[in-house]
Amino acid sequence: MALEIVVMIKQVPDSQEVEIDPVTKTLNRMKARNVLNVADENALEAALIIKDRAESHITIVSMGPPMADEAILECMGKGADRGILLTDRAFAGADTYPTGLTLAAAITKLGKFDIIFAGEETSDSSTGHVGPGVAEFLGIEQITYTRSVRFEDGNVIGERELEDGIEIVRARPPVLITVRLGSNIPRRQTLRKKIDAIKTGVETWTLQNLGIPAEWVGFKGSPTVVRSMKTIKEKERAARKITVSEIGELVKELAGNGVIKMEVEQQ
Amino acid sequence: MTGLINAVPTDKPEEYRNVFVFLETRKGAIVKSSLEMIGIGKEIAEKVKEKLVCILVGNDLAPMAKEAGKYGCDKVLGAESPDLEDFKTMPYAHYAAQFISEEKPNIFLIAATHDGRDLASRIAVKSRTGVTADCTVIDIDPNERILLANRPVYGESTLAEILCKNHRPQMATARPGVFKVPDAQDGRNCEKDIRRVRVDPDLIRKEIIGFRPKVEFDITDADIVVSGGLGLGKKEGFQVLEELAKELGGVVGASRPAVDVGWIDRDHQVGQTGRVVRPKLYIAAGISGKAQHIVGMKQSDIIIAINSDPDAEIAKYSDYFINDDVYAAIPELIKEIRKLKGEKEVEIST
Ligand SMILES: Cc1cc2nc3c(=O)[nH]c(=O)nc-3n(C[C@H](O)[C@H](O)[C@H](O)COP(=O)(O)OP(=O)(O)OC[C@H]3O[C@@H](n4cnc5c(N)ncnc54)[C@H](O)[C@@H]3O)c2cc1C
Ligand SMILES: Nc1ncnc2c1ncn2[C@@H]1O[C@H](COP(=O)(O)O)[C@@H](O)[C@H]1O
Repeated sequence: MALEIVVMIKQVPDSQEVEIDPVTKTLNRMKARNVLNVADENALEAALIIKDRAESHITIVSMGPPMADEAILECMGKGADRGILLTDRAFAGADTYPTGLTLAAAITKLGKFDIIFAGEETSDSSTGHVGPGVAEFLGIEQITYTRSVRFEDGNVIGERELEDGIEIVRARPPVLITVRLGSNIPRRQTLRKKIDAIKTGVETWTLQNLGIPAEWVGFKGSPTVVRSMKTIKEKERAARKITVSEIGELVKELAGNGVIKMEVEQQ
Repeated sequence: MTGLINAVPTDKPEEYRNVFVFLETRKGAIVKSSLEMIGIGKEIAEKVKEKLVCILVGNDLAPMAKEAGKYGCDKVLGAESPDLEDFKTMPYAHYAAQFISEEKPNIFLIAATHDGRDLASRIAVKSRTGVTADCTVIDIDPNERILLANRPVYGESTLAEILCKNHRPQMATARPGVFKVPDAQDGRNCEKDIRRVRVDPDLIRKEIIGFRPKVEFDITDADIVVSGGLGLGKKEGFQVLEELAKELGGVVGASRPAVDVGWIDRDHQVGQTGRVVRPKLYIAAGISGKAQHIVGMKQSDIIIAINSDPDAEIAKYSDYFINDDVYAAIPELIKEIRKLKGEKEVEIST
């Protein structure tokens, strides 16, 4: 039986192009192009690597505005089999709790799943909380921050990147995996698959399809609210120009202030 | 398992008291970023005259509980079992959430390490509350006892203040390296409640089958960091930096591209996807000053930038700007430091 794989992806404003409105201090998304969140490209590639070796069926799930179908088609052009866009006015303004709930409700509706992939974090909200949230709603284990994932003898083996080393973890499906940004090189779309993707199309699911109350999702369902946005004040620094010939003076000054220590071995 | 259910506003939020901090441990010791959480946790607990309670999940917790007490925690709540020796999300989240439902804390903090973030949102979902990720400024409204969780957004340009007014506990993860480790002191009072638990086998669904430690090296510990970027032009440039670092008693750091091209190990990377350092002195040699690098070093006390481009962005983040070639400036720095050391030596011997 084929492995049922779900990849959760999000369309985000291209971080290279994002501008911040100097007046409202909010993201000026109008100017930025929308792209597939980079870590999610790595998550999809990790799923496709499994599909290269074991018979698998990959479903893309994304919550976002109608135009996000573009990002889903891109994933299908690379080898995903099915694409589902969760789009509804009611979903707007969600923090990580209702985002995870909405995605988990969609995955539940899909039926059987073995491995769920997510990116380590998104470039626009960068919490890394949505993946583990989905795993909790579904009651499954997770392996986060993976740099590589294998499927072997019915187990998923992930190498987690931690602050002090690499932890190798084995889990039996169903399991949720989050994938490190830049941990693999995402493949390109093929023309053939792209054409197929356009033919197959992206399915759109609304709140009604999920069967959960409107108060549970989007802004209404979010426990956290943003109270204010402030520009981060940078510490003012003098940028005093020093020429190479003045370096001797600089060194003396720093030594005098105790910034650099002139430990001299005493006899 | 939480099931598909919404976050629910807490009935009597005023009944929720005290600050919880989850402690991450490694080889029988509390990790540095969790000690930082004890520091900030204690600070906000004192503001509202409440207790700081630390949560430990693992095996043989007594030495770590003792350590937590030394750093200022008022009470330790622990779940101990050989099955909890390794970090496993489901049982760890289970015990943390159980402690929450028993003790009803007002605030719950976790360091935003990889394991910390792995756990945080699961604990939040289990408790049907919200969590703010990766905070760099944390405070409390002393009257309402509302957590003021601030996190940088939009490429670190803006600080968003996020509140979770109606749900308890109010949860946040906090960025490692931002908050201070408090002083340790013997003989502080700390109540300990460590329970031997029998872990439900259904919660054990993953297994740690290996660990490859990183070479023991942590640039965040150093007082002086000398970093190099692509402007060094070649791998050998790092040898020159190494020489300067040695002369200063510091360590070598790097920009991400310098790591990517293989001039130096990733352990040395400073920045958004590397480490956040705040040494007494930071020297940036051949680094342009892109936002992702700046976030990793802008809290340094003094910054010296060396860059041949007079308009390099790094200049505005520097206290001293040496607008010249790295290969002119670095050897001169080394020479002048040696010279000064030599003079001192003469002073002492005469
Ligand atoms: C998601 C994401 C995460 C990132 N994370 C990080 C991170 O953690 N850390 C990080 O550093 N970057 C990170 N980056 C990359 C970052 O955006 C910049 O590309 C990077 O910091 C630039 O590195 P650099 O300054 O070494 O190189 P460059 O930008 O190429 O700058 C080289 C500088 O050297 C100067 N120079 C050249 N020759 C000489 C010479 N002979 N003498 C003196 N000066 C000279 C040049 O004037 C120039 O200013 C990240 C990017 C992204 C998109
Ligand atoms: N709206 C969304 N739709 C689908 N997947 C999402 C969405 N938001 C977040 N994710 C997934 O969760 C990961 C972590 O996101 P975040 O918690 O926002 O940093 C992302 O890399 C995606 O895989």
